[in-house]
Amino acid sequence: MAATDDAREGGAPRCGPLAALTQAALALPILLVSPKAGAAHVGEVGFATLGYKERGLIKVTEPVLWGKLQLDDVWEFEASGALDIVTGASPELLTNLSGKPVQSITGASINDRRTTSDLSAKRRFGDFSLSVSRTVSNEEDYHSHAYSVHGEVDLDQKRTTLAVGIGRSNDRVGSSIDPALNEPRDTREYLAGITQVLSPLAVVESTITLSRGEGYYNDPYKSTLTFYPDQVLPILMPDTRPGHRNELAWLTRYRRHFPEANATLQADYRYFRDDWGIRAHTLELAWQQDFGQRWSVRPALRYYTQSAADFYSPLVPLPQPRVLSSDQRLGAFGGLSPSLRVIARLENGFTIEGTAGYVHDAASLRLGGGGSEAFSTLRAIYGIISVSHPF
Amino acid sequence: MRAPHLVAFRAMAAVNEIQVYASDPAEARAMAAAAIAEVRRVEAKYSRYQPQSVVSRINAAAGSAPVAIDEETAKLLDYAEACYRQSRGRFDPTSGVLRRAWRFEPGAAAPSANELDPLLAKIGWHRVERTARTIRLPIAGMEIDFGGFGKEYAVDRAALALREAGAQSAIVNLAGDLAAIGPQPGGSPWRIGVRHPRRDDAAIATIPVSSGAIATSGDYERFVEVDGVRHCHVLDPRTGRSARGFQSVTVHAPSCLVAGSASTIAMLMGRDAGLEWLESLSLPYLAVLEDGLVVDRFRESRFCVSKVSTAEG
Amino acid sequence: MRIAAAVLAAAVLAGACTPVAPYQRGYLARPDMAMEPAGAGTAKALEKIYPAKEAARGGASIGGGGCGCN
Repeated sequence: MAATDDAREGGAPRCGPLAALTQAALALPILLVSPKAGAAHVGEVGFATLGYKERGLIKVTEPVLWGKLQLDDVWEFEASGALDIVTGASPELLTNLSGKPVQSITGASINDRRTTSDLSAKRRFGDFSLSVSRTVSNEEDYHSHAYSVHGEVDLDQKRTTLAVGIGRSNDRVGSSIDPALNEPRDTREYLAGITQVLSPLAVVESTITLSRGEGYYNDPYKSTLTFYPDQVLPILMPDTRPGHRNELAWLTRYRRHFPEANATLQADYRYFRDDWGIRAHTLELAWQQDFGQRWSVRPALRYYTQSAADFYSPLVPLPQPRVLSSDQRLGAFGGLSPSLRVIARLENGFTIEGTAGYVHDAASLRLGGGGSEAFSTLRAIYGIISVSHPF
Repeated sequence: MRAPHLVAFRAMAAVNEIQVYASDPAEARAMAAAAIAEVRRVEAKYSRYQPQSVVSRINAAAGSAPVAIDEETAKLLDYAEACYRQSRGRFDPTSGVLRRAWRFEPGAAAPSANELDPLLAKIGWHRVERTARTIRLPIAGMEIDFGGFGKEYAVDRAALALREAGAQSAIVNLAGDLAAIGPQPGGSPWRIGVRHPRRDDAAIATIPVSSGAIATSGDYERFVEVDGVRHCHVLDPRTGRSARGFQSVTVHAPSCLVAGSASTIAMLMGRDAGLEWLESLSLPYLAVLEDGLVVDRFRESRFCVSKVSTAEG
Repeated sequence: MRIAAAVLAAAVLAGACTPVAPYQRGYLARPDMAMEPAGAGTAKALEKIYPAKEAARGGASIGGGGCGCN
């Protein structure tokens, strides 16, 4: 009978009053069709591009393509592909030739391409959902395969959500200047999180991620060159890091809507520590302001501070240690990054999102002082344009 | 851009319309005619205003012998029974007798308890005696009334007639209760204006409809205002008084029958219970509360709590 | 650090939350109330910027793999 076929086309409700009414309605000679509002949007596709520029040092452009597909409120698929093109030069040598430790670029310029692709599939089972994902990343000197499994359960009528996840990453590190280098690095990750609705206007989420890695962590392109006044020959030590790294990241995110102002406050705080001695705090505050249905503007300010790794040093001490790195990303510094995002939701369905940001990292910005002397201040700007459309 | 053929017609004391996309006007008229014929059939069969209707015959036999009914009527009564149960007795097909006490005209007064009590004694679906193919109203003066679902059933039957006549893109609208057969050609949805409960000429929202049915229950269709308080035609069978809490409720459901019962039951349950009822259905809805607040679940029709992020690259 | 953890746990678990009726969820479904307020493309692009210049990584998700980040 026509009625029954169309009811199944829509998917029968599982239990409750709708099921009772639907069952009685099915007995009658009428159609029952799943109520669909819009041109049933099952997914979206999008394209984004990023431009990043440091003081003449590195320029990164990155086209990203992504797609999402939802089937029947049960399955959700996501796929994306990105191409990183990094050009410019990267600091390779930290030398104190001039008396104070200073980074120098030894002239080799980079023209790196990296492709990344990821796929994920998620299935809902009522209040519970399970997802698996796989990411593959390839560049000339680095290959990474990672996968993860993630489960979520909604409790208390979806006011509380618990999540757990495990993941694994198998990487291969190589070097464009040393073809013999081919070292593995394996990382296991664990995640646990809770999301809680606090009120009709506020929600908070807190997630802890643990990461345990073994393998090659050295940066094959970096070295430290130290001159001693009483020695003729300087000491050149290549970047050497421990063969393992345990990390903990604790991220708490808070969202609060202000209906009178037509705006939402977004606050994120992350605490990070690892067994390399690094402690870092990240705080980002943003205010997303709506103007009508179509426009949103989001100014934001991000503050970052980190302590130095135990083995960080801009100078090679004597006796020469087993591990040492002068990579300033392991030093003590702080950073301020203001950004502005503008979102336009057009009538033809396209959403355009433009973000512009400025990154300022410096030793002087470290919380509580004590930033690494050799830290070379970073000033960078970036711009992202993202265009998406549902289908 | 093609435009649909629009056929307007009178039925159930209102102006109704069918919009259908067809290759030529003749085909459109033929499809509409099939649907209109079905609406008239349902009206003739179940209208209490027509003395030959099934409902009239059942009511005439109240207090005496059981009346034989056919399969269609039996199944409709089964549906009404499901509504009665799910609404915990508030949706009651025997509550039509209350119209003898209420006059929804300007200047009329609200009935007193003396006027309502004798009518309340004649209400109660649980008293109705039914077998698979018969029905008996045990008390003289008892009535059943398909008013709570008859029009919606007619919409669904008309929609089926359109589908069987070959329509793939059509909409049948009986004074605001409507069902869609497929979206407009090219996939874009029909744009349905929901009447503003306090302004005749304005829509409170425009909702896109690609499939399924829409029905609205409102306190503005038939009402009387006494001392600044509005009493509408949606009456609680347990008290005889007007339901409170909503100005209107609009529901989007798999059929007009379900949409109509869902919205009517919400109004009968009052604001808090009614909103919980609507939420429990997980159907898109729009409710205008008594104080004017609009709860629009067409916009946020996916239940959504911000979740801990899934793994990404 | 411990105090912050205790406060967070207390707020979440001890129900220092206002009750939310299901029909009041509308605001929570807004895109700017989501934990990932940026669109998918913007979010992926942002992942390239900050982690490449800092030692701290992650927090929100796992399974992303590593990068050369030179």
